[in-house]
Amino acid sequence: MSQSSGLKYAYFPGCSLQSSAVDYNRSILSTCTELGIELRELEDWNCCGTTAVTSTNLLLSYLLPARNLALAEEEGLDLAVACNSCLVTHRRVTGCFSLDISPLANKIRSSLHKIGRTFRGRVQVRHILDILAEDLGFEGLAGKVKRRLEGLKVVPYYGCQYSRPGAQLKEAEMPESMDQILDLLGVEVKEYSRKTKCCGGVLMTTKPEIAAALVNELLEEAADRGADAIVVTCPLCQMNLDIYQGDVNARFGRSYNLPVVYFTQLLGIALGVKLVELDVHRGFVPAEPLLRKYA
Amino acid sequence: MAHSEPVRVGVYICHCGSNIAEKVEVQEVRRYAEEMEKVVAARDYQYMCSEPGQEIIRKDICEGLVNRVVVASCSPRMHEPTFRKTLFDAGLNGYLLEMANIREQCSWCTEENRWATEKAKALVGAAVKKAVLLEPLEERSVPVNPDTLVVGGGVAGIEAALKVAEAGKKVYLVEREPSIGGHMARLDKTFPTLDCSACILTPKMVALAQNEKVELLTLSEVEEVSGYIGNFKVRVRQRTRYVDPVACTACGDCRDVCPVELPDTFNHGLNNKKAVYQFFPQAIPNVFQVEKAGDPAPCRHACPAGVNVPGYLALIKERKFAEALDLVREALPLPAICGRVCFHPCEEQCHRAQVDKPLAIKALKRFLTDYEAKTSPEKKPKAPEETNGGRVAVVGAGPAGLSAAYFLAKCGHKVTVFEKEPEPGGILRYGIPEYRLPLEILKHEINQVRAVGVEIRTCVEIGRDITLDDLHDQGYDAVLLATGALSEVMLEVQGADLDGILPALSFLHDVRAGQRPKLGKRVAVIGGGNAAVDAARTSLRLGAREVKIFYRRSRLEMPASPEEIAAAEAEGIQVETLANPVRFLGEKGRVVGLELVRMRLLEEVDKSGRRIPAPVQGSNFVVEADTVIIAIGQRPTLDLAVGKWEGELQFDKGGRVRVNKSCQTGLKGVFAAGDLVSGPASVVEAVGAAQWASAAIDAYIRGEPLPVVEDRPERTVPFPEEREVLPLQRQEMPELEAEKRRRSFAEVELGLDEEQAVLEAGRCLHCAGCAECLQCVTACQAKAIDHAMKDEVRELEVGSIIVATGFDLFDPSSAPQWGYGRYPGVVTALEFERMVNASGPTHGKILCKDGKEPKAVAILHCIGSRDKNFQEYCSRICCMTALKYAHLVREKTGAEVYNFYIDIRSFGKQYEEFYQRVQEEGVHFIRGKGAEVVETGDGLVVRAEDTLLGIFREVSVDLVILNAAMVPARGAQKVAQVFGLQTGNDGFFMETHLKLEPLKTSSDGIFLAGVCQGPKDIPDAVSQGAGAAAEALRNISAGKVVVSPVSASINKELCSGCRVCIEACPYRAVEYDEEEEVCTVNEVLCKGCGTCTASCPSGACRVACFDTRQLMAQIEGVLAG
Repeated sequence: MSQSSGLKYAYFPGCSLQSSAVDYNRSILSTCTELGIELRELEDWNCCGTTAVTSTNLLLSYLLPARNLALAEEEGLDLAVACNSCLVTHRRVTGCFSLDISPLANKIRSSLHKIGRTFRGRVQVRHILDILAEDLGFEGLAGKVKRRLEGLKVVPYYGCQYSRPGAQLKEAEMPESMDQILDLLGVEVKEYSRKTKCCGGVLMTTKPEIAAALVNELLEEAADRGADAIVVTCPLCQMNLDIYQGDVNARFGRSYNLPVVYFTQLLGIALGVKLVELDVHRGFVPAEPLLRKYA
Repeated sequence: MAHSEPVRVGVYICHCGSNIAEKVEVQEVRRYAEEMEKVVAARDYQYMCSEPGQEIIRKDICEGLVNRVVVASCSPRMHEPTFRKTLFDAGLNGYLLEMANIREQCSWCTEENRWATEKAKALVGAAVKKAVLLEPLEERSVPVNPDTLVVGGGVAGIEAALKVAEAGKKVYLVEREPSIGGHMARLDKTFPTLDCSACILTPKMVALAQNEKVELLTLSEVEEVSGYIGNFKVRVRQRTRYVDPVACTACGDCRDVCPVELPDTFNHGLNNKKAVYQFFPQAIPNVFQVEKAGDPAPCRHACPAGVNVPGYLALIKERKFAEALDLVREALPLPAICGRVCFHPCEEQCHRAQVDKPLAIKALKRFLTDYEAKTSPEKKPKAPEETNGGRVAVVGAGPAGLSAAYFLAKCGHKVTVFEKEPEPGGILRYGIPEYRLPLEILKHEINQVRAVGVEIRTCVEIGRDITLDDLHDQGYDAVLLATGALSEVMLEVQGADLDGILPALSFLHDVRAGQRPKLGKRVAVIGGGNAAVDAARTSLRLGAREVKIFYRRSRLEMPASPEEIAAAEAEGIQVETLANPVRFLGEKGRVVGLELVRMRLLEEVDKSGRRIPAPVQGSNFVVEADTVIIAIGQRPTLDLAVGKWEGELQFDKGGRVRVNKSCQTGLKGVFAAGDLVSGPASVVEAVGAAQWASAAIDAYIRGEPLPVVEDRPERTVPFPEEREVLPLQRQEMPELEAEKRRRSFAEVELGLDEEQAVLEAGRCLHCAGCAECLQCVTACQAKAIDHAMKDEVRELEVGSIIVATGFDLFDPSSAPQWGYGRYPGVVTALEFERMVNASGPTHGKILCKDGKEPKAVAILHCIGSRDKNFQEYCSRICCMTALKYAHLVREKTGAEVYNFYIDIRSFGKQYEEFYQRVQEEGVHFIRGKGAEVVETGDGLVVRAEDTLLGIFREVSVDLVILNAAMVPARGAQKVAQVFGLQTGNDGFFMETHLKLEPLKTSSDGIFLAGVCQGPKDIPDAVSQGAGAAAEALRNISAGKVVVSPVSASINKELCSGCRVCIEACPYRAVEYDEEEEVCTVNEVLCKGCGTCTASCPSGACRVACFDTRQLMAQIEGVLAG
């Protein structure tokens, strides 16, 4: 670990980062190590429930993230999350604890009590992107950049869940923080009007024709803008854009070949982390040929 | 008296048609009332407010049956005045009435009849109990001042003012912009008739200007309102125009010569205008004005000599180089010198640095002098034609002495400068090396000083060749001491007396005096200031092979200017920081090296705010050197015997002469300035000090009070956030190549050429507005422009006030989805109005940013209105403006037009017909709010859900017009505060009653007109303006107004004078009586709200009609039911 930045969080990787998105997890851990940000993985964390539980059992959908928050509160740390969906489910819980009177908060309290845990609403849920952009700050980042990724053209794709709820409207509609980080790395960030449009999420498994159409729109604009790659902040967005790119090509008669990489992978390269530690070879659309020259 | 008789209450219950009777069992309530104590009659009627209904009450009173009346009907807001009048008509005091609201608060809001009836009984019972205790009150009236104030010169304000003036009454119209006309003056056509907006408005504006009953106060804002209905006192601040409105003929000569361009706010910043400008061609009053930010630009503020930087930059841009240099010389007689050696604090503060790099101000100043030397080398400043007989001796011909001599000679004094060296110039001549400041430049500039009549005597040293007393005897009226800080501080370490160790200033002095001091091959320079760098670079030029600078702190703390350090390093000089000599090593009496110790910086800082250096134990190292130059500081020394001047010369610990705030020393008539006073400082600081000292000496000789050196104005203008500033490359100073200059004393900096200078000057943002270059003053034949004019404060007395402060548009840049501020093809409605207007920035052509006509235009409705995220209300005009824009685009370009709407609201007279017409013109209507605007390779795309077709649509267009919501004008909250108005949730001013009193406010005598009350179109705003005038005229014509007696009063015996009520009163009706030490209520201002009563800890306040006894009785009545 390089010199400590003094920043320390409880880290909730979430299920995706243990399975489909281990590359995201590895790149987060190696980048944060390089930046002196301490991520202490929550012991015995559980799935946040994501969309599936929300639509079947409302109370349970609050209780699952609440347990993780209780664990973080016991540690006395804010909670760092990487996945946009995990961000929303956890924020939804802290949101009802920030209200003066929330019947739901009382229900959560009493349910947690039954398993011997408490949550007082003192934990903030922070996306890794916000930790880098706001807590560490652009100046802190700029000083650490060892290699500039000159010539790399990307579109930044935040996904629909990243900046809401809780953000100011302006940020919710048109977030800028990843653009600014990428800009610091020397990456050419293209205008992208679909920054916060939906990728279809889990509809890709239940209504693939709808999700594929949405992904097609995202890929089409990225290609039109002349991007070499799409940079994402969420494992589900990555999956839909990457794994299903071939499917979209077949369905719509296109020939997209756009690597979909996590912002932490590009940041890692710029900080001098080895490519293999960033797992850039794992995408269905290979990113390594594009990124090799910067490592 | 009525109330001394036994109380006999009559209860009158209204059915209100079926409004009350459908829910409330009226007969049951009547029987309940009848049973109550003191009730002598209880009656009911279908419409108690009707004439027959009122007659029932009147009859009972006239027959002497009742002397208290309870009416149970609707809200007292509706009919209390009606029934009060009924009582008065019948000969009973109207305040012996109590109303029970059994409609709004009972029948309308209760579901079951049983409960409604019970509640009605309780309310009636309460009213009866209170009525028993009512007392008659006297209505009073106050006289009305016949003058009226209208605030806001838009169409509503204009209409109101005109109507009042045409009725023969005096009107003051206050408008904060330079002209009346408001938004309507900016519109192109008006819907639905497509009349030209200006054509129908300007006759009204002219009529107003020509009406002798109207006094226009433009560029003005109301700061304070006191008093009450009929008798207001209003304080108005009128910002100066810097132009005499009577003398100005609006010929435009000033505009033609003005070099400064600023965003044209009349055109919403779509183009630029000059800093002296006419607001728009039909402006009323038809005069020009100068736009100044009020505070100085940061460059001018930072300059110790206060040189008008924006002024000369503006003139350079216009290639008026001679005028520019004249402007510089007003504050700075040594421009060629400062253009080379100044440390330019101006550039550090330049706002352009926030966008790219600061202006190259120093280089531009030097360019002006280069240009003059090239084109008119013989040009000399004029000596004053008359001298005034004053004689001043200046001691020291350095920058301070020369500058002061110049300023004093310009004032008409005869000035003699005494200099000890063979040539004048001081540190400029003998300190700064030739490669930075060529001798011929210095000589030329000193000759300029001579040209204004200054005599310079060299080889005369004060204290040796001549004394202060001699000067006194020779009849000098005043003396300025400016001998600088030339005494060098030496290192006191072992070996400091070895040969080959030289003080820097003497070294530089000898070189400049034409000698060649003997130097070794390896030169070490100790110190971090400009003298150290100068000595190092000079050594190199004298042939030293290796030159090193050692400095004890870090590079960050080096006082030398960063450019000088960089230039030295480029020439091969090494700079070693955090190293301090501990002893010098010698052989045979000559220095051969030095031992240094490494330093580190402690966390603590010293007096200068820099971190303190401390030696690192055991880090000593030795460096070979055969010459060491010491440049670690200078201090002033002056030792003068004095006898004949009154007073005593005093010095501080650093050897600096003590002066007072007028630069005068302890000796009367002897002044001091420059390094002698401040310790070692810069040339420009010496010039700044010379300005003050010479002003003081001038006043001293004239026998006037001495001016005091003012502290710098605290504020400077902030960065102009509202402007879009594009980056422009800074023109860098060309330099002689490092290789060529290492062995030569030729000047290193080569100067900008003319084209570079003009380009560079054009980068100036003119953040303070007008640059005060005074070209307009020269150009104005009417002599109407005066830059010294000040704001004026007017105190007005008026009887009525009409507030018509209008609106602004919602700023759509706060909602990035619509692309405003991000894509140039997205404009607001008001920007489009200017674009399509013949007098606008495109002369009426509808153009995209690339200058082409659009092929497709989207008009988005409801931007920021009917939207939970912004304003929930309907902005009311936008559907019609959208139709108008659609028509204008079709008419002027033939482009396809797409309206994205939620509903089309064409509600006014002839509006629907206009809608039909526009539909027939082939305009597309898509029912669905424009969700977002994005830019693609081909242009803009509007995305929306078409709710009629049930599909999602993307429409490609070239231009997007955002119909942004009307929102309260900026500053509306402050207006509300000043006038005591209430605002609704939407921020618009509240009327007394939404339907029936849309013009009145809760502050009696203050009326509303136009959009400040809520979004409305021109016909409605005009009607309201006329209506507000009628309200004012009614009071004026009556000559007096009745004031409600329902007001608070304070019992002096009980009041403790704590003044809590003064804070609590929302109407500013309570005052503190200093003499009696109690609070008193101004009954005219009081609205009887009772806040003071509730806040009073002593129970001294009471409100008539809402006495504690009465309220308690009322509660008893409710509980009994």
